[in-house]
Amino acid sequence: MNLALKDINYHRFKFFSSVAGVSQLLMVVLAIGGIIRGVIYDSAIIITETGADLWVVEKGTLGPFAELSRMPEDYYHAIEVIPGVVEASPLVMAWEHVVRPPRPTPLMKFMYRNAVLGTKTMVEPGWMDVPMEQRFVVIGSKPGRIGGPPRIIAGRGIEADNYEIVADAKAGFQLGERVRLGYHDYTVVGLTNNMVGLTADPVIYTTLKEAQQILFRPDPDLLRDRRRRFQQQFAQAATIAPRLADGLAYQASTVAEDTHFINAIAVKLEPGTSPDAVAQEIGRWKRLEVYTAPQQVNLQLMGSNRLILLQLSLFRVVLVLIAGIIIGLIIYTFTLDKVKEIAVLKLLGTPGRRIYGMIFQQAILMGVLGTLLGGALELAIEPFFPRRVEATYGDIGQMLVAMTVVAVLASVLAVRRAMKVDAQSVLGT
Amino acid sequence: MEYVVQAEKLVKTYGEGHNRVEVLKGLDLAVRPGELFAIMGPSGSGKTTLLNILGLVIEPTEGRLRLGGEDIYNGKRRDLQRLRRERIGFIFQFANLIPFLTARENVLLPLELIGVRGRQAVQKGMELLDYLEVADRAEHLPEQLSGGERQRVAIARALANEPRVILADEPTASLDSERGLSVMRLLRKLSSERGTAILVVTHDTRMIGEVDRVIRLIDGQVVDEVTESTAPSEQPVIQH
Repeated sequence: MNLALKDINYHRFKFFSSVAGVSQLLMVVLAIGGIIRGVIYDSAIIITETGADLWVVEKGTLGPFAELSRMPEDYYHAIEVIPGVVEASPLVMAWEHVVRPPRPTPLMKFMYRNAVLGTKTMVEPGWMDVPMEQRFVVIGSKPGRIGGPPRIIAGRGIEADNYEIVADAKAGFQLGERVRLGYHDYTVVGLTNNMVGLTADPVIYTTLKEAQQILFRPDPDLLRDRRRRFQQQFAQAATIAPRLADGLAYQASTVAEDTHFINAIAVKLEPGTSPDAVAQEIGRWKRLEVYTAPQQVNLQLMGSNRLILLQLSLFRVVLVLIAGIIIGLIIYTFTLDKVKEIAVLKLLGTPGRRIYGMIFQQAILMGVLGTLLGGALELAIEPFFPRRVEATYGDIGQMLVAMTVVAVLASVLAVRRAMKVDAQSVLGT
Repeated sequence: MEYVVQAEKLVKTYGEGHNRVEVLKGLDLAVRPGELFAIMGPSGSGKTTLLNILGLVIEPTEGRLRLGGEDIYNGKRRDLQRLRRERIGFIFQFANLIPFLTARENVLLPLELIGVRGRQAVQKGMELLDYLEVADRAEHLPEQLSGGERQRVAIARALANEPRVILADEPTASLDSERGLSVMRLLRKLSSERGTAILVVTHDTRMIGEVDRVIRLIDGQVVDEVTESTAPSEQPVIQH
């Protein structure tokens, strides 16, 4: 007969309420792990879904995700002819926003109410009334080349310049909705699933040309001012050749309006081609920097996200330790409650390993059940987080192993207490 | 004559130097199979220490202890825990049943500890509960039993490993006189029917008429020994 299970059955409310408490703590631990994975996933998703082996960017910059990179659009032709390169796709990507009516979350509302009541919170009154600026990552690519919208869950992709966009479902747009971007309205023709940037802003896909219009087209007032200045500069020439001066001013103005820049070139290689070898070849070229896909991901993780990831990881470790301490204390109090029974068991000649085994088994069971319940709770609450939280069964498995070890260590104190119980304490009392 | 328990010149001291206290002072004791033997004495007389030594819980400082003819402390290192679970049964003042085990499981526990499991163990456990007239309470937890029922289950547990000696520590102290007497008569029946020697430590002078022999301890020494034949029929043999 298993004494640990019998005791648990007898004290089932106490045991399972303790398990419930531990499971909630472990749910938080697993959720933090899920948040960390979410950040990593969000940082990598554009890169991995693009399917590029190499990312070519402006010399001396870290790439389109971590730093501003600009280069002439036509560079991709030169890369495409390098041996081993299957495809070189010019890409434009930058942040853009639209102003939408406020859409506060229930949590924000709750915190807002607290603020109104005078409770100190992170949200000040009035913050809620500000119209929400919804940020996006706009990615433009040539239709049919890599870098276009993957994971389309509704509608279709983009085949030509037609003032159309494919947006991620997280943006909240509906198919057919008209969205003002830059100086034009765009129609939402498709929706993607979970395509976000490293800051979790949803991605909007459009054609290269239209993305350049959205992102790079100068302000009309600025253009008018530039035209006026060009005309002034060419005023002297107008006295000699009036028609030539007008033409020159027009040409200069056109150059100023030029939006034929790109931020990166995504390069797809032939199977079996060494990315490093091709990167070296491109690097020899003028004014270009080349990163492999893993390097690009790493630049983001070890750049802007490094500290927050380290912070969360450390917090997670602290919580695991706290969970261990809590399990240890619970098991210790369980053992204190059983001192008399342990003394009787010892007097009846029960081997120590069986008594201590009972304590270990209860601690391990508490850790295991707490982890499984915590894992189930975490998976249940994941969809309600505003950002991606992605704990896996692997995480739960790892947590099971960790909590088993922690539970064994945590029960050492209780076992030490049980070892001190003297069998003679039940005789003569 | 063969004795189940034989103690010779048992000495037990605690502490050292000025703090040294001699609790047992060369105590001799011999118990026959099937004998119901009572140990009486005031508080501090050494009853509990004697019980602990006889129960192989603590070792005597000096002297010899034989259990079933085997010299326990003859220099060889013995597994006292094993000897305890195989040869001795215990009955306590408050039954001390394991609260999270049913009456049946409490009786099965000593059987399991000596390697008797499965159907054989269950059958034996139920026989014992039946013998003690608590078979119908087999699936109840100790908290669901009356004081008398608990003590009967405790006796069944003490009998489970078929010990040659049962040490009973104030088995009637928590019961009213009627139930206490009933338990003592039960112990009497057990000792005579099963041949198990039963050593009872008790303060309860009303129970003395049920035992075969009584020794009285004062300051760690036997000051009086009364056998059934020498005891007056109605009066308590020993009074505090």
